[in-house]
Amino acid sequence: MNVGAAVFLGLGVLFSIMGNVGVLVFPDPYTRLQASSTCTTTSVLSFFIGCMFIVGWGPMLGRLLVITLFFFVTSPISAHIIARFAWKSGVVPWRKSFAMKRHAERRDD
Amino acid sequence: MDLRTRWALVRFGITFLSLFAGWLLFTWSLDSGSLLAGGVSSLAVSLVTYPIFVEETEAGRRAHLPRPHMFLLFLAALVFSMYVASFRVLWRILRGDINPRVVHFRTRLKTDIARVVLTSSITLTPGTITLDLDDDHLVVHWLDAQTTHSRYAGMLIKGAYEKLLRGVWL
Repeated sequence: MNVGAAVFLGLGVLFSIMGNVGVLVFPDPYTRLQASSTCTTTSVLSFFIGCMFIVGWGPMLGRLLVITLFFFVTSPISAHIIARFAWKSGVVPWRKSFAMKRHAERRDD
Repeated sequence: MDLRTRWALVRFGITFLSLFAGWLLFTWSLDSGSLLAGGVSSLAVSLVTYPIFVEETEAGRRAHLPRPHMFLLFLAALVFSMYVASFRVLWRILRGDINPRVVHFRTRLKTDIARVVLTSSITLTPGTITLDLDDDHLVVHWLDAQTTHSRYAGMLIKGAYEKLLRGVWL
């Protein structure tokens, strides 16, 4: 295993963990979707690039490229479908002012 | 042979070639058996799916023939900005300091496939998710909104992508 593979696999692990932390931390469906789907997309891409470094030039590289391309097509569409359903069914996106308002109310009590 | 039949044949050819190219990349062999299996299955699949793969009304030549070098440039820019935006989102998660807003803007791309690629790449970039696409009108959820002004937000979110995609498709 060479340096490039190690770097990209490490990045993949980092993004994957932080994406999952974001799901627990963030307040509403949209922001959680941001953390889970998009950070995980980057982590899976990092894993694929790390695998490309490991296998080197050969038939396996073509397969990895096809899989990566397929992933690039399908992954954003699944995230978009979930977000679009939430948007169409009227889930109100969380804003920064919501947290401030709640903070102010709590101080009034 | 009227225009409609000829256009159907061309669409069938485009579908077959895309599928067969995928097969060649995936198997990476030139055995006669493998080629035959790939050809027959590509034929069968493209017979069923060509009306979906290429819309009948999508008749511009540039909609089907992207410029490959520009497309590679676009992919490189996409991967690079994905990593940059990932680190930004990572920092946001660590700080717990987010300012999510929904912004609306328009795109100047003409073909359907270019619009779909634009929305997909906006969703692929961490920090932005496309909620809706209606003709040229995009609704985007932005994790770290710097502005809600339509044109400025559009410039920040889609700016480089749109410029590159106009070179790829239209």
